[in-house]
Amino acid sequence: MTDEHPIEALAVYALGSLEATERASVETHVAACAACAVRLRAFQGVAGSLPIGLAPVPLPPEAWETISATVRARRSHSRMRAKPTSMAAWLRLAGWPAVAAALAALLIWNVSLERELSRRAPGPAPGPEVEALSRRPGRIVILAGTGKPEASARLFVAVDGGGHLAVSGLAPLPRERTYQLWFVQTGSSAVNGATFRVDASGRAWVKVMVPASLDNVQAIAITEEPSPQTSAPTGKHLLDALPWK
Amino acid sequence: MRRGPPAGMRFEEPADLELLRRMQRGDESALETLYARYGGLVFTLALRIVGDPELAREVLQDTFLRSWDGRETYDSRRGRVPWWLMGIARNRAIDVLRSRPHQARMREQAATPSGAHEAEPAVQGAAEATALRRTVAQALAGLSEVQREAIELAYYRGLTQVEIARYLGQPLGTVKSRIRDAMERLRTLLESLIEPTEDLESRRD
Repeated sequence: MTDEHPIEALAVYALGSLEATERASVETHVAACAACAVRLRAFQGVAGSLPIGLAPVPLPPEAWETISATVRARRSHSRMRAKPTSMAAWLRLAGWPAVAAALAALLIWNVSLERELSRRAPGPAPGPEVEALSRRPGRIVILAGTGKPEASARLFVAVDGGGHLAVSGLAPLPRERTYQLWFVQTGSSAVNGATFRVDASGRAWVKVMVPASLDNVQAIAITEEPSPQTSAPTGKHLLDALPWK
Repeated sequence: MRRGPPAGMRFEEPADLELLRRMQRGDESALETLYARYGGLVFTLALRIVGDPELAREVLQDTFLRSWDGRETYDSRRGRVPWWLMGIARNRAIDVLRSRPHQARMREQAATPSGAHEAEPAVQGAAEATALRRTVAQALAGLSEVQREAIELAYYRGLTQVEIARYLGQPLGTVKSRIRDAMERLRTLLESLIEPTEDLESRRD
């Protein structure tokens, strides 16, 4: 940066459009230059005001309820932490950040589960096994319909590795075809996590075999394959997981 | 259904800073007030960037949870509370936008409308909110087409200045100048929205 006052860089910085290497340089300059600090604040005001010009859309239902449930779960855990003798064994063994994350995910998970179950098409009830899964802590992975835009899915993974998949927006398949969920692990081929079909509404709720650690999984995808199942994905990716780490 | 009013960019009782202080003390009602005030704006921004209601909802929730649990810290030297919230939401939304699955998904969908600033509101807000919206829309309309395009690519598409230059096939210096001129113009046109407010806030304390 050669300008005495890097106005161009300040403007780009405020929009969040400056490369990382230049960001540090701007921050150093602003810390020592009152004039540029004032200018940057004004530019940040411009950037922060841009969304006001958008046509507003209604807030999604249940969003606040999910936030509130997560906050209360964290608060509840804080109280539990103050009384370690009352915690279950796995809570005692886990570190605080892991527990906080797990509890937050559990709450979001349960809210998501309830919503998903309430949206389910008429059919067999999830059953006690799924209900039990929903009560265990874990995390959620979102799968977006990269090859099937109207499709979406949530993968719920318990801390002990069990999990299940809620998927919607897929087309019912003929007898000789099936859907498969894949975990692509570091340094190895894809592992099948579930083979399933969807109901007439395009939805399915299936139990998933999850690899020992999701941390070793590079990608998660759903493909359409010949029935009964294949040992490796051959079809195009219909859904892919968004970053979950 | 809650609707965060764009008018939230104006100060309302209790002041935003007081809400943050109460949140630090664990007052969930303060978070709820902040959500009621700015949730609509955050969701509108997130939806504008990611183009998918479900993903925008995730961004919305993540933004307010981060404001609550201290993962994002407000610095009053960097401007008003809503600017801070918009910054969190914008960065989270750009992260989603840049993820490979999302890009693939968007490629298969119709292009995101770029004229949202001129669109009719889906929700009729208060008169003040409408006036504020018109003020910003008019300010953007006061830019040249190439300036608006540069702002759009930087803020809503999350491109860096180098990526913008490559995308437009223009020299980097040209892109920098366009953005600087656009921001200076907007700074003038939106002065009433972005003028320093420390005095106002301190008086409320």
